[in-house]
Amino acid sequence: MNILLIEDDTIEVMKLQRTVSKLQMKHNIVKASNGEEALKYLNEASILPDIILLDLNMPRMSGIEFLGILKEHNTFKYLPTIILTTSQNRADLLKCYRIGIAGYVIKPLKYEDYQTKLQKVLEYWDINELVKANTN
Amino acid sequence: MDSKEVTLLKKALERQKKARKQAERILEEKSKELYDVTHHLQEANSKLENLLSEKTSELDGVFINIIDPYVVMDLQFNVINMNSSAKEFLGYDHTREKLNLAKLVHKDFVAYTTRSFQSLIEVGTLKNYRAKILAKNGTENWVQINSSLIYNSARKPIAAQGIIRDITQEMEIKQLLSEQKRQLDIIVENSPLGIVLTVNGKIVKANHTFAKLLGYTETELKQLHVKDISAPEDIPVSQELMVKMNNGELDKFSIIKRYFKKDSGFLLARTLVSAVKDDTGKVDYQVALIEDITKEREAEERLKNEREKYSNIIANMNLGLIEVDNEDIIQLVNQSFCKMSGFDHNDLIGKKASDILSVRNKNIIVEKQEERIAGKSDSYEIEVLNKQGELRHWLISGAPRYDDTKNVVGSIGIHLDITDQKQLELQKEKLLEELEKSNEGLQEYAHIVSHDLKSPLRSISALASWLTEDYHDKIDDNGKFNLRQIQEKIEGMDRLIDGILKYSSIKDTTLDNTLVDVNEIIAEIREIIFVPQNVNIIIMNPLPKIKVDRTKIYQLFQNLISNAVVNIEREDGLVKISSKENKSHWEFSVKDNGIGIAKEYHEKIFKVFQSIGHNERSTGIGLSIVKKIVDLYHGKIWLESEVGQGTTFYFSLKK
Repeated sequence: MNILLIEDDTIEVMKLQRTVSKLQMKHNIVKASNGEEALKYLNEASILPDIILLDLNMPRMSGIEFLGILKEHNTFKYLPTIILTTSQNRADLLKCYRIGIAGYVIKPLKYEDYQTKLQKVLEYWDINELVKANTN
Repeated sequence: MDSKEVTLLKKALERQKKARKQAERILEEKSKELYDVTHHLQEANSKLENLLSEKTSELDGVFINIIDPYVVMDLQFNVINMNSSAKEFLGYDHTREKLNLAKLVHKDFVAYTTRSFQSLIEVGTLKNYRAKILAKNGTENWVQINSSLIYNSARKPIAAQGIIRDITQEMEIKQLLSEQKRQLDIIVENSPLGIVLTVNGKIVKANHTFAKLLGYTETELKQLHVKDISAPEDIPVSQELMVKMNNGELDKFSIIKRYFKKDSGFLLARTLVSAVKDDTGKVDYQVALIEDITKEREAEERLKNEREKYSNIIANMNLGLIEVDNEDIIQLVNQSFCKMSGFDHNDLIGKKASDILSVRNKNIIVEKQEERIAGKSDSYEIEVLNKQGELRHWLISGAPRYDDTKNVVGSIGIHLDITDQKQLELQKEKLLEELEKSNEGLQEYAHIVSHDLKSPLRSISALASWLTEDYHDKIDDNGKFNLRQIQEKIEGMDRLIDGILKYSSIKDTTLDNTLVDVNEIIAEIREIIFVPQNVNIIIMNPLPKIKVDRTKIYQLFQNLISNAVVNIEREDGLVKISSKENKSHWEFSVKDNGIGIAKEYHEKIFKVFQSIGHNERSTGIGLSIVKKIVDLYHGKIWLESEVGQGTTFYFSLKK
């Protein structure tokens, strides 16, 4: 799968990469540090990601803002977007589901727990029929 | 003529002579008899005549001139004689028809008549016989009869004579008088006024009312002098007036004075004294009308006090008072109104209120004025510019004004300047709005802070675990221990952040109250939290369904049950949950047989960050959250505990 990880925290990026490589999963991870960067990538990319993992709290453009724009877009709106956040804010959760998300995963404190959770998420999406959308 | 003839004639004559002589003799005999009888009769007659003439002559002289009816009757009441006046009065004439007087007596007087007649027979005279009789024409007449017996020469009563006087009118007057006296008595006795008749101050008569007012009997009062019952300080004045009245300077006078009551206390009374004079103008009596005005005085006094009180209130109140007529012309304003409006008294009186006062919304004034004319009262708010042009808010209580005949003649308005309150109200609204915003902001802030604190914790945790994993062979046991310590501290901090976030998010504005089955909540918690093998959670009685915010009640029980479970060290660990209902609250308890809490901590444990647990995992926020939720539901939380025996937490939630 092509995974777009939108995350400003380097360690978080490392956590995902380490999880993927350790579990010997064959996923291609593209990272963007914030919403703006992600949009830029999506607009320029020849192949769209299969899923998006989206952090909420980011500088410049927050995850929710990005999500809003994404879901307004004719093509991008089909991209399954899974929120990956530390925030347990119920207001955020409701807002995200209202706009349209494919999942809402809270980052656990322990790395081991993170690994287990992310393994499940990725495995789940791996068995899903994906949009495989093109930019055109 | 021949002798034969003569002889024959002579013989015939002789025969006739003889016959006549015989007849004469018979006649003589009869005459004698007749004479004897006549003589006898004459004798008797003359006796009677003597008596009659004697009496008649005696009486004729008296009665000849009497125009009153005069009747002589025998002792069987049969009329023997009556004069023309009697005939006229009674309507009967004894010469034409037999008349028995007994039959004329009115039935009510028959017995009386019998008695009277008896007395006449015994005494010989009867005076003042009074009875009603029926005349021939059927009219009833009151008569007074004076009568006497008529005796024969043997002094035996043979008849009675009487003079009848028609006293019908007299009786009517008498009856009328007695009726009037009775009426007068009724008036006097039932009068609410005390009525006293005095002669030179000596009481000769007093009515019942007066006696009752003073508590004396009427008889007792007759022993008294007015002075005896008058307050000494009133005596000079009344005496002075009395002198004037006796001098003829006054016919009557009125005075308010006090009378002593028999027992104690006094009666305050308005007394009207009038002189009753004889023909010569000398004062015979004084009539005094006494009116008890004690209550009237009290009422007046009360009214006066009341009036004073209200006028004081009106004068000193901070409420503006204005009276206008039906044309909205100002009739009266008080000082406060002048102060409120900024105008002088003179600026306002006589002016049209709606002209001089700059009310923002004039329509409301017109509308209210119509309501007043219709007799309605109510209160309303207006915005008005005072003389200085400042905007003021007034609360007006308006009511119609009536004249004596209940016609609406205008309206009266009480004005309260509520500008300050109004501003406060606006300020309050603004503050509330700001508070809400800032609350929201804070909430947001709490989330951001917790996120920003938690994120690095996750990074540190990940890095520490990678160190452990990647350099497993290169780090000695001491290093590995330290790395584990790092992880534990990180976990503690993470829980703390969670706790603070939860604590800060408990607010009543976000309560989402629904009917929640507490049994279900406990069942869920039992599933979720870690319950060691040695502990049993038991629900003691079916728990109620209550209207609460599900999340909050869940947090509440979760914290209490977790605490209970964690603090049990013994093998037969038991957590008992029960509830009871009282009038206003639900009361729940969570009882454990754990290590217990020392008395000195019973208060302290509900404060934020006050952990007394030996447990490393305790953040000290759990019970603070519990307390905050209980507070939200206007309840109480308390505990009973004995170290080594266990702890029971009680809390109540308002229904």
